[in-house]
Amino acid sequence: MADITVFTARRVRTMEASMPTAEAVAVRDGRIVEVGTLENMAPWLDGYDHEIDDTFSDHVIMPGFIDPHLHPSMAAVLLPMEFTTVVEWDLPWSDIGAVGGRVELLDRLIELDAKLEPEAPLFAWGHHPIWHGEVDRETLNGISATRPVIVWHRGYHSMIVNDACYRWMDIDLEAARRHPQIDVDRGAFFETGLGVAYRHMNGFLLGTERFRAGLDRMRQVIHHGGQTTIGDAAMGMYGFEDEWEHLKAVMERPDTPFRIQLMPFDMGPLGDEESDEAMIERILAYPQRNTHRLRFSDHVKMFADGGFFAELLMLKSPGHLDGRHGEWMTPPERFERVARAFWNAGLRIHVHCTGDLGVEMVLSTLEKLQSERPRFNHRFTFEHFGISSAQQVARMAEVGALASVNAYYVYELSRAFADHTLGYERASQMSRLGSLERAGIRFAVHSDFTMAPAKPLNNAWVAANRLNESGEVMCANERASLDAAIKAITSNAAYVLGLEDEIGSLRWGKQADFTILEADPYDVGAEGLRDIPIWGTVFEGEKFPI
Amino acid sequence: MISSVEPIPVTVLGGYLGAGKTTLVNRLLSGDHGRRLAVLVNDFGEVNIDVDLITSHDGETISLQNGCVCCSIADALGESLDRVLALDPAPDQVVIEASGVADPAKVAAYGYGWPGCRLDAVIVLADAETIQAKAKDQFVGELVTRQLRGADLVLVTKSDLVSPEVLDSVLDWVRSIAAVPVLPVSRGEVDSEVVLAMSRSDLDVGSARVVTRGTSPLTDAEAMFETATLALPGPVNRARLEAAMSLWSQDVVRVKGIVWVAEADGGNAQPHVVQRVGLRWSIEPATTNIDQETEGGRLVVVVLRGTLDAAALINDLVDAE
Repeated sequence: MADITVFTARRVRTMEASMPTAEAVAVRDGRIVEVGTLENMAPWLDGYDHEIDDTFSDHVIMPGFIDPHLHPSMAAVLLPMEFTTVVEWDLPWSDIGAVGGRVELLDRLIELDAKLEPEAPLFAWGHHPIWHGEVDRETLNGISATRPVIVWHRGYHSMIVNDACYRWMDIDLEAARRHPQIDVDRGAFFETGLGVAYRHMNGFLLGTERFRAGLDRMRQVIHHGGQTTIGDAAMGMYGFEDEWEHLKAVMERPDTPFRIQLMPFDMGPLGDEESDEAMIERILAYPQRNTHRLRFSDHVKMFADGGFFAELLMLKSPGHLDGRHGEWMTPPERFERVARAFWNAGLRIHVHCTGDLGVEMVLSTLEKLQSERPRFNHRFTFEHFGISSAQQVARMAEVGALASVNAYYVYELSRAFADHTLGYERASQMSRLGSLERAGIRFAVHSDFTMAPAKPLNNAWVAANRLNESGEVMCANERASLDAAIKAITSNAAYVLGLEDEIGSLRWGKQADFTILEADPYDVGAEGLRDIPIWGTVFEGEKFPI
Repeated sequence: MISSVEPIPVTVLGGYLGAGKTTLVNRLLSGDHGRRLAVLVNDFGEVNIDVDLITSHDGETISLQNGCVCCSIADALGESLDRVLALDPAPDQVVIEASGVADPAKVAAYGYGWPGCRLDAVIVLADAETIQAKAKDQFVGELVTRQLRGADLVLVTKSDLVSPEVLDSVLDWVRSIAAVPVLPVSRGEVDSEVVLAMSRSDLDVGSARVVTRGTSPLTDAEAMFETATLALPGPVNRARLEAAMSLWSQDVVRVKGIVWVAEADGGNAQPHVVQRVGLRWSIEPATTNIDQETEGGRLVVVVLRGTLDAAALINDLVDAE
């Protein structure tokens, strides 16, 4: 085998300002030795045994896409389920059309019931009353009298089941009847009532075989999206060591064409049982167990306010449209104490943060830490960034914060949140990107999969267009430029993960990770980003077609 | 899984960080109250138990010589609850220390909804020195106020650290937020009797008499509360009992016991479990056989020190013989 492989292409899009485009990339041992033209590469090619690979002569080579924030473990629970959401999902094993209303939902359930093995429970994820109306136990008894049928809310907020599911769960219905958040007649479990349901289902959902099959589907999803690096933004949600074993078994294989940057978090297994010093010591030791594809570093995750889909964001005045309240996931005092310990230990902090009061709490903490012990290059990152103000963005710029934004909120939620949760002004400006760009703040966009599809081009498309599922443009002034949207899934995503010297653009010395497209996004323009076909990827110099 | 018929009382301790929940938990765990309490806490690190009292520590659960256990919630309240409900023998009572940012009224759903449990009370603690400032805080003000509104009983802690005038104004302010009994406590010394519910061990055959065994570890001079047992000379008319539960002063902090209740339509009086915490009360038929020690049963009352008039309370229920 040759020492050097040279991949030639219709165009190489480097995402390096010094040389934005090129004709070829020379690779040795999984790393780039030179980007440019065959002619300029002569000193390398004359000196070493090499081969020219022109597989991509009609394609565009991009830096491998990066999704810095998703959750393989949550996906492993969800991906074995059936999807019935109001938006379409293009998954590697099937194209799933949008389920737009109540009738469509019931039709889909009937269809799935006919397809599945007789005894298998039918888990359907994606119900949302705003679109699908109410579904109850009797409705689901109509789907099947013998098969457990479970309809799960899009934001994991409730679960509706049929009588066969009650039998399968072996649940004490008289006890359940006393629970204020279980409606036995309707077959509905909410909030703490969900805890009762999970205890009868977790053995099934988290069983090793099913969980690993779900992780394997996740592997396919990541490859199909064109990602070559992803960030697991809360490693250990279902138990740290279990997840580690599952990840090693499923992901650490020669045919896995991506690496996972693992971020431990400050709750649960890492949180309250030990001192902050002991927690930090533990976090700093995690990289010792790194494998080739599974890697810890000095990045750590924290949580401010509640989930965005679940409408638990903490808001400044005027609050929620219907007067409901959000939730702190971490008490502000504890947040400040732990953040200070992480900051002073030199860790790089990422904070889940959804509402403008959440942003305010996190930002004021960061301002305090900056004044106590100034740091540069700290990579403090606001994750999700649902609702914020332009004034907060200006302060973020002052203290050197970054953002990793779920732009997709705009697509699926902006109209529904305008009508039901926030009113139009705030809803139209969710996931603001134009302000970040104007303030010079580097940002990534992420999927938080399964909150959004794990398709970087789709997320960049939402970022650059701000079109929602109803076809409206929501706050054109908060669109990202085409260039910023592409950087948000390549070079700036690498920067957010602290990996900018290794991935995110194409130049000498970097990993030979490419996403191979049928067209150059800079030619296609913002409108067409999500429709660009992906040939496949190259991971560390090896081709992985889709 | 739950073999006994009487559900286990679940008491929720709420309140923002620093309100004194952990102090109370430490006191409950090490107290000489004769109950097997299972206390679910968010943070083991804060629990401070004399190591000599610990009989085992398996990572998730600490067992103590006095029969109490302390169990870490670690993100999964339902799992922790199941773990302590499965203990053999089962605990007399479960106390959940809600997280400082939780809405205790929501956590209470685990009490009245979880299989094998019943909600005893939501007790919210408030720090006399800081509660009013916290209620104005931009990040947690709304939450702190909501916590108080969800209480059946509010304990204003550290009341010895503020002047009597300030304490009075704090108590009035809390009462303006939460229309429930609001009681000052000092030096972290909450009488555990305020927290202890009527439990299944009290209902074991022949043991109705032991409902009074909870003893205050405090000296008389320090105690905030006093406890008395009312021996009822005869059955209590249901309407009269219900009226007393609704109307008794808020100085009567807790009521618990077995009462033989006579219904309006006659028939034999039947034993009922009676519970009252703050404004929350219940009268449920006892499902366990109970020896009838007195004609009417016994009620334990915990009252603010200096306010006890046992004869008057008995008179509210049963005419003097």
